[in-house]
Amino acid sequence: MTILSSSSFRAGAREGFQIFLPLSVGLIPWALVTGMSMVSIGMTPLQAMGMNVIVFAGTAQLGTLPLIAAGAPLWLIVATALALNLRFLIFSAAIAQGFRGHGGGARWLSGHLLTDGVFATCVAKMMAVEDKEWRLGYYLAPSLWSWLLWQTFALIGVLAAGSIPKTWSLEFMATIALMVLLIPMAKMRPMLVAAATGGLTAVVLNGLPLRLGLFAGIFAGIAAGLAADHWHTKGEAA
Amino acid sequence: MNAYDATIWGIFILIGLATTLPRASFIVLGNRVTLPSVVQRALRYAPAAALAAIVVPDVLLVSGELAPLNPKLAAAGAAIAAALLSRNPWLPFVAGMGVLLGLKHLLG
Repeated sequence: MTILSSSSFRAGAREGFQIFLPLSVGLIPWALVTGMSMVSIGMTPLQAMGMNVIVFAGTAQLGTLPLIAAGAPLWLIVATALALNLRFLIFSAAIAQGFRGHGGGARWLSGHLLTDGVFATCVAKMMAVEDKEWRLGYYLAPSLWSWLLWQTFALIGVLAAGSIPKTWSLEFMATIALMVLLIPMAKMRPMLVAAATGGLTAVVLNGLPLRLGLFAGIFAGIAAGLAADHWHTKGEAA
Repeated sequence: MNAYDATIWGIFILIGLATTLPRASFIVLGNRVTLPSVVQRALRYAPAAALAAIVVPDVLLVSGELAPLNPKLAAAGAAIAAALLSRNPWLPFVAGMGVLLGLKHLLG
């Protein structure tokens, strides 16, 4: 626990929290919607919050709910959850170097708490900064804040299920949050190519089951980004 | 749902493992597993590609059909403009939700 009192850990935590705070509002509608959805398929509040604590992943929770409700075979439920979570293999590999110098406990905790928003917010500085305690604080503060928001607003959703009007379209705040994350990345040419290709591929293949269009979009976007990077570098050399 | 009462906690734990293991994979394995440099370069583009693959269908499609004139696209435009023109971190949310709810109200 000595790391928690280290001044560089706290400085990192403060900076990570400040950067992530405005983006974290995007989690709120998802947590509310997830809480309401779990109750809507017949879970008790205890079961719903149990799932929310054990799984802690909006996409995997929302994606498996229809299967649980329909009494689908266990293997299909687990396979669907794995498919929805494949992107985390990519994120985990991309951010792993950010935990250099830390032991197993911090790594398991950080891995369990890895989310799309925290990954996108933290990955660049996690690579660049040398101070390992600063990096862990910078990562854990937004992660624990996400966890707290997720549990709190899912609980509100569980308790308020049915009384929040759908016409408020609160879930769109999550989309806005993701766009705000994307904008600074898209200012670099190969990144813009990756984003445009990924987005359009996902639109074209939207009809595929199990959100496979999303995976196709990610892989097409990565390939396009690499190709653009290649040509860009060549152009500079010539 | 009732048939699942006994096993639902087991289902939660398996879904939880199917979530935490991919998340923790490389973070826990660390230097014991290194990725080839081409894969590492490719990974730089994963976040932008993934974010766009999630967001673009959400604002361009309505019930799975291409809808270039829907309120969500106008709201996305307002949110992006706010993010580009202002450093205020809350403004994209205010602008985006304002345009979305305003247009939905106008269109009934």
